[in-house]
Amino acid sequence: MQNDRLLAYFMILPVVIAVLAFVIGPTYNVGTLSLTKIVMGQERGFGTFSNFTALTADPVFWLVLKNTAIWILGGTLLCVLVGLGVGAFLSVDSRLTTGLRALILLPWVLPDVVTAMAWKWMLHGQVGIIGQTLETTGLTEETISFLGDPNLVMWTLVVVLIWRKMPLVALILCAAIRSVPDDQIEAARMDGATAFERFRFVVIPNIAFSLTAVTVISMIWITAEFALPWIMTGGGPANSSQIMATYIYQQSFEFFNWGIASAMSVINLVMLASIVALYLYINRRSWASEGSK
Amino acid sequence: MTNSISRRQFLGTTAATALATATPFSGAFAGTGDLSVWKFGGTPTEVEQWAARNEAFTADNPDINLNYSYFNGQIRRQKILAGFQTRRLADVIIAFGQDIPEFVGFDMVQPLDDIAADKIDGWKDRLVPEVMNSGMHDGKLYGLPTYVDMASFLAVNLDALEEAGFDRPPATWSELREYAKAMTKPGRPGLAFPATTAPVDINIFEGIAYANGGRIFDEESGKVTLDDPGVVDALQLYVDLIADGSTPAATSLTETFFRDTAQLFGQGRSAMWIGLSWLNTPWGVSEDVRWTGVPMPRPDTASGSFAPVNAIMDPTAILMVSSRAKNPEAAVEYLDFWSQNEQLEIWGGQPEVARIPAGKAAWDNEELAEVWPNWVEAYNEGSLFEGAAPMPRFIGVSAIESALGTAIQQAVLGQKTPLEALTEATKAAQTQIDLIRG
Repeated sequence: MQNDRLLAYFMILPVVIAVLAFVIGPTYNVGTLSLTKIVMGQERGFGTFSNFTALTADPVFWLVLKNTAIWILGGTLLCVLVGLGVGAFLSVDSRLTTGLRALILLPWVLPDVVTAMAWKWMLHGQVGIIGQTLETTGLTEETISFLGDPNLVMWTLVVVLIWRKMPLVALILCAAIRSVPDDQIEAARMDGATAFERFRFVVIPNIAFSLTAVTVISMIWITAEFALPWIMTGGGPANSSQIMATYIYQQSFEFFNWGIASAMSVINLVMLASIVALYLYINRRSWASEGSK
Repeated sequence: MTNSISRRQFLGTTAATALATATPFSGAFAGTGDLSVWKFGGTPTEVEQWAARNEAFTADNPDINLNYSYFNGQIRRQKILAGFQTRRLADVIIAFGQDIPEFVGFDMVQPLDDIAADKIDGWKDRLVPEVMNSGMHDGKLYGLPTYVDMASFLAVNLDALEEAGFDRPPATWSELREYAKAMTKPGRPGLAFPATTAPVDINIFEGIAYANGGRIFDEESGKVTLDDPGVVDALQLYVDLIADGSTPAATSLTETFFRDTAQLFGQGRSAMWIGLSWLNTPWGVSEDVRWTGVPMPRPDTASGSFAPVNAIMDPTAILMVSSRAKNPEAAVEYLDFWSQNEQLEIWGGQPEVARIPAGKAAWDNEELAEVWPNWVEAYNEGSLFEGAAPMPRFIGVSAIESALGTAIQQAVLGQKTPLEALTEATKAAQTQIDLIRG
């Protein structure tokens, strides 16, 4: 018995080492760096909150927080809502939806860089096809610089983000909706429930587990997304699209302020963990009941 | 016969396999004669030519195993820093002269005086002194330049110029505004300039500000000087040009970086554009676009607190040797190879005409004289580099340039006046500089 236990530990050892090396280790390292005054690779004292106080004094940081809220919360909410709508549509059996279920994954399989460059050109104020189409159809008086206008850029990025991330969300939710027992829907119909009521009170509770999982996963994906905003705007114009991911990168690799970048990473981690924990807490009943099936 | 295996056999076999797998890797690092080279940035022609000349190096040095990689110039700091931290930095780094102070500060590169003392005299013989000096920092040579880029220059569509009734390009800021307005017609602005936060776009603006007696940093006092009148008035010029209606929409300027601006000019979509010395040469222009390149018009009266310069310049393909080079002898051989006329000749006309060559011999090339007669004439007169200063280079330069980039965009977009934007940028950048410099 004792030997079996040792063998079991031995067998999981590689995974434990991998987790320690690639997850716990770097997280610990970032935590340590966030409490270290380090500039240009030179350590200037450990055990200080100066990185955090420097961040609170940085006016750009507050703009970054606001943009990050739009990016993560707006992006996740819209991604899941649109994904739910598209998933519900795809769950209906027809020739059209059968084909669309495969085609919808196209944005997902394209590399980030290709996606970002293609959208950047399509949205360009002088040569972009989207602005030109809007102008020639008379919807706008002149072409619009979606990525050059500080009032539009953040939401434009969110739209591109949804285009990119939504397909997988839609497919997961489509599969969940299709697994809702027909007899429940039929019983609701016979009781006189409208289509909306059947969706709200029969389908949604049945897919709550998938919905919760896909929301949490989307939130993490979107938080970690860097290439799309960086390639499309580089955080500009005038920091209007600067988000945590891009500002951390800028502090680390352009200014070499690793301490401040690490402090931002810690704040990012705490924020994300709090939001996910809150979301899981609110949805704990559906999560627990579905998960135990 | 059974296929069972005892626990002891399993553990023994697993351990032996792991050991056998790891053993070959331990010997792989012991190899000699390898030379890794990372090159960042360059025009399409240059990238092609560099790789071709590397083949000649390999043929000349069969004992050196050259491992050459090319990367986009805009990511060089990140790539080099990551390589340094992970101890995977290449032996030779070909990056920008502006990087030298920070790389030295990080102890990433080593002085060539220490490892190539016997070669340096030969390099001095073959290289233009002003260009060679661009590899110096704190009295030591850290890099071997192959050419320099200068800022700022103006590309002019000659048909548009003549249509507007002018017989020569603009020479002053007030003329530039007048010309740009006169050359504007529906669908084709008179002038475009890039105003993204890309480093080159910021360098282009710095060229204009330095010519107006502005500076971004005063090394003597350690003060950021973005709010100097020389810089503020240069930014006011950008704002005035937009207010004149002579440029594309301000929102478009902030999303269009130098290369895209060049391409729009090449397609006849703007009558002039402000860029670095190479202007449109790397990408060409449409067949029906006749154009010329001239120095950026000068301020009517310089308003900055410092001496106005004619241009600022930087070697954007300078060879440096990593402080952790495993094979410094091979690295020096590689640098020496690139100091030879055969290699420096690449920029002396065909095949590459976009750069200002470092090699003295390259200036004798007839093709260079044909493409850039003014450059060659000025070089022969000894005035090409007269009044030219290096592009900003000091520890913390990227922090100040980033703040400047944001200020340019705020002013261009009309969010703040140039003075407000640059005053705020000065404060933000000073905080960064104080942090960096302790």
